Amino acid sequence: MSVFRLLASRILFSALTLLLVSILIFLILEALPGDVATRILGRDATAKALEVLRGQLHLDQSAPIRYFRWLSDFVRGDLGVSIATGRPIADVLAPRIVNTLLLSLFAFAIYLVLALVPAIIQATNRGKVVDHVISVITLILLSLPDFLLATILLFVFAVALPILPALATISEASTWQETLRAMVLPAVTLAIMMAVYAIRVLRDSLIEVLHSDYVRLAELKGLRPRTVLFRHALPNAIVPALNVTALNLGFLIGGVVIVERVFSYPGFGTLLIDALQLRDVPLIKATVMISAAVYVVANLVADVLAVLLQPRLRTSR
Amino acid sequence: MSTIASNPSRRFARFGAERWHAAPGPFKVGAVILATHVLFAIVGFFWTPYGFAEMGAGLPLSGASFQHPMGLDQIGRDVFSRFMHGAHIVLLLAFAGTILGMVAGTTLGLLSGYVGGWFDEIAQRIVEAMISIPFLALALVMIIAAGPALAGEPVLIVLVVGLVYAPRIARIARAAAMEIATREYVAVAELRGEGTWSIVFREILPNAANVLLVEFSLRLSYAPILIGALGFLGFGIRPPTPEWGLMISENRNLLIASPVTVFGPGLGLASLVIGFNLFTDGLSRMLGQRPVAGA
Repeated sequence: MSVFRLLASRILFSALTLLLVSILIFLILEALPGDVATRILGRDATAKALEVLRGQLHLDQSAPIRYFRWLSDFVRGDLGVSIATGRPIADVLAPRIVNTLLLSLFAFAIYLVLALVPAIIQATNRGKVVDHVISVITLILLSLPDFLLATILLFVFAVALPILPALATISEASTWQETLRAMVLPAVTLAIMMAVYAIRVLRDSLIEVLHSDYVRLAELKGLRPRTVLFRHALPNAIVPALNVTALNLGFLIGGVVIVERVFSYPGFGTLLIDALQLRDVPLIKATVMISAAVYVVANLVADVLAVLLQPRLRTSR
Repeated sequence: MSTIASNPSRRFARFGAERWHAAPGPFKVGAVILATHVLFAIVGFFWTPYGFAEMGAGLPLSGASFQHPMGLDQIGRDVFSRFMHGAHIVLLLAFAGTILGMVAGTTLGLLSGYVGGWFDEIAQRIVEAMISIPFLALALVMIIAAGPALAGEPVLIVLVVGLVYAPRIARIARAAAMEIATREYVAVAELRGEGTWSIVFREILPNAANVLLVEFSLRLSYAPILIGALGFLGFGIRPPTPEWGLMISENRNLLIASPVTVFGPGLGLASLVIGFNLFTDGLSRMLGQRPVAGA
């Protein structure tokens, strides 16, 4: 019963957060003092252009009315019309989201390997040379800005040893092999960016769990080391890493923006940058709202998973 | 007179040396990297072999040579001179932005944690909402909202870094304040009749200093990445200012013709962040805090 109450309150809080996010975005983009249209088009804009834009943004109405109209349309799935292209935002967004989801899934699969393998090697070889070497590599990778890592990988694997395409421009005409090949570099970049955060946490928590009484007991019972590691230690060690993954999702969405940009991958991130460059306010609002929703939902899922994986949390919180 | 004056200062110097020897390895390595960066930035601010925006300093894209260790870009600007001049820009922007975020975030967080009640409830919901917007998206939206008049100005970058950081810092400060607020000396100060501001800044702030110092150092580590990313995407400092992120973005197109042009700003940015990260790691160990990873 308490689990359901916990779930309900988490969901309610997430919804409240998203409502506040929508107010914030609206305030930042449309309710700052000064004329929105002039801010979008610049001071040199003609009176006619300003008039047209004011009409498109419904600037003749007051800010609260515009906000509630936008919000009620948004909740009902009507995302509005993009100013730059004149197309419905939902149509513009849908294929981009599919592309980014594909890329993320690919990246996530690589991430699991890149995070788990080094952490397990480190935890089982604690204090040895391998442990230190991986720590140093992790630190260096952690310190590399994502756009730099992407540029380095691009240079090594697309320019110096041209084995992968430099641009991940895919279209509906590309075969799935082409698509997959194009996605390797951006996906690996994203996976590395995610993994370096998880490796540290995962190593430390795995070491902690490996020294706990129940793992000792499992060892003394005569279970094989592999069984102890994968069946008994790992599931509990993963929980802190799960939270880090969710908390760092803000970073990852930023990473998607940059990685897609570097490799010209036609996803959600490049759409956001395009919208910003064209000052397409309705499109900016929709993309930022969706990225915040992804973050909130991912954190909600991580919380729930943590509760399910560690029953102890059901009572302690 | 002179013995009295020199004694404490010598003792202090010895104390400093002892502390330095006792400091964890990462802290020392980080401090040395950061000191090198500061020195390099100071030199680069006053002197560069060529002007940072001087076109035709040599043959464009002629690669690395003794005169031009990092080559030349496509309009013949000496990349090493640009790299040197850019060093102080990242450092100053990172410090200014992080300090702004610390001041705003700490004030809000400590007040919220100590006062509690409705104020805390409302502040926390807003903080939560701001954190839910991916920080790069939030930064970019604020830059767009500021309009063309402010675009590319250093002030805007400082403001954006500060505003992106403030809610994240507020969350840490609030947790620290809530814990400290239960201590006896706070209750004593309340009984003495001290006001809220006085308690927050005289009793709670000094006792939260360790947590906040580590947080400051951690935020400082990520500031160059954020500033670089904004420059890289073309929303940062206006060209031809040689901000390193902007330089990487400009010279990225030259990767085939003259890859060495990306090397300098890339190495500079990476080593700066490594220096900050090591420093933070060592600092948090020295102050008895748990090292923190990620956002």
